[in-house]
Amino acid sequence: MTMSYTLQYGQIWPYLPTLAAGALLSLQIAFLAFCGGLLIGTAGAAALTFGGSMIRRVVRAYVTFLTNTPQLVQIYFLYFALPDTGILLSSYAAVLIGMTLNAGAYLTDIQRAGFESVRASEMEAAQVLGFSRMQQIRFVVLPHVARVLFPPLSNQYILMTLGTSMAAIFGVEELTGRAFNINAQTFRSIEVFSVTAGFYVVITLAATTILGLIGRFAFRARMRLV
Amino acid sequence: MLTRLVAELPEFFSYYNIVFLAKAALATFALSAVGSITGVLAGFALAVTRLTRSIWLAPLRWLTVLLTELFRRIPFLVTLMLVFFAFQLSGFDLPLFAVALIAVFLIASAYLAEIIRAGFESVHRNQWDAAAAMNFSMLETIRYVIVPQAWRIILPPAFGFFILFIKDTALASQIGVIELTYAGKVLNNKGFSAALVFGTLLVLYFLISYPLMRLGARLEASLAQPRHR
Repeated sequence: MTMSYTLQYGQIWPYLPTLAAGALLSLQIAFLAFCGGLLIGTAGAAALTFGGSMIRRVVRAYVTFLTNTPQLVQIYFLYFALPDTGILLSSYAAVLIGMTLNAGAYLTDIQRAGFESVRASEMEAAQVLGFSRMQQIRFVVLPHVARVLFPPLSNQYILMTLGTSMAAIFGVEELTGRAFNINAQTFRSIEVFSVTAGFYVVITLAATTILGLIGRFAFRARMRLV
Repeated sequence: MLTRLVAELPEFFSYYNIVFLAKAALATFALSAVGSITGVLAGFALAVTRLTRSIWLAPLRWLTVLLTELFRRIPFLVTLMLVFFAFQLSGFDLPLFAVALIAVFLIASAYLAEIIRAGFESVHRNQWDAAAAMNFSMLETIRYVIVPQAWRIILPPAFGFFILFIKDTALASQIGVIELTYAGKVLNNKGFSAALVFGTLLVLYFLISYPLMRLGARLEASLAQPRHR
C-alpha cells in the first residue's frame, strides 16, 4: 500500500522569512540561557573549588539532579507545576528559566574541570616572580582557564542551540515552533522539517566557525573551524 | 497545596499506575539502550569507512562525513519529526516505538562515529606504520592493534552519550510513544496534579540515570591508566 508523494518545496518558499525570524529567536534563547548558565556555572565551580563542605554539598546535589533528569521534564515541571504555588510563568519564561538552570548545572561541571587544570606549580611560579593576587588571576589563571575551557564551552553552546527546539513543545514560536505551525497550515511535513533542519545546520555551522575563530586567535585554543 | 498532594498520594500510587509507570520506564530504557547499541555498531562502521584509502570508496567516505556532520547539527526533535513523517508518507505501517528507535539510531550513530573516530586517532600514527610493516591488512590492524588500545578512550564518552540518550528519549513522547514522559502527560490529563506527576517523573528518570552515571564514572576511573609515550 505505497502512496506516491511528490516533494513540493514551492509551497514552503514563501515561509522562509518566517523560519529565518524563528531561527533568530532560537539563537536569542540559546544565547540568553548560555549567558545565565555561565554565571551560575562560574559561581558553582567557584563554590565547588573554594567553598565549605556545606555549600559544596548543595552545589553537587544541584548539578547531579539536573544533569540526570531530562530538560523537557524539568521545563514541564516549571510550566505546569509552579502555577499550583501561584507562580505563573509564560511559556517563553518557563523555557528560558528551565534551560538556564539546566545549562548552569552542565557548565558548573565543565568549569570545575577547567579550574582544577591550573597546576599549583604554575601559581607558585607566579608568586616567586612577585605577581600580586590580581596579577596571578589576570596573567596566569585566566589565560590558562580560557584556553582549556573555550572548546568544551563552545561545544555546549552548540548543543544548547539544538536544545532550544524543545521550546516548540510549549508553544514558543522559535524555529521548530514555526515549523510546527507551517506544517499545520500546508501539510508539507517533509519539506517543512527538512528546510528547518537546514536552518539548524546553517546556524550551528556559523556558530562553530565564529567560536572557532575567537578561540584560536583570542585564546590560542586548539579548535576546528567547521 | 501540600495537603492536596498528600491527599492524592494513595490514589496516584495505585497498582495500575505503578505498573503503567514501570512499563513506561522500561520503554524509555529500551529505546535508549537498543538505539545506543545499534548506534555503536553503525558508528563503528562509519568510523572504519572514514579510515579507508581506496579511491573507489571516496564517495562513500564523503557520505559518511556528510551523515555524521549533518545529524549532529539537527535537533533530535526535528530528526524525530522527519523520520515520523517520512514513514507516514511512505505508507509503511511501523509502530511508533520503531519510528522513535530509528530516530535515536540515526542520531546515536552520528555521535558515536565521532567518538570512535577520536578513539582511533588517539592511537599513535607509528602503530599503523608498524602494523603495515608487518603486512597487516587495514581490518587486521584495526582488530589487533587499534581497538585493543582505543577502547579505553572510546568507552567513557560512549557511555556518557548513552546516558544522554535516556534523557533525550523524553522527546519521543511528542509523536505518541508511550515512554516515561508520555505516561506522565497521560496521568496529568487524568487529573493528578502536575507537581506530583512531573516530580515523580524527575525522580524516576534520576533513578535510571544516576546509577548508570556512577557506573560510567567508575569505568572511567578504572580504565584511565598512565599512558607512556
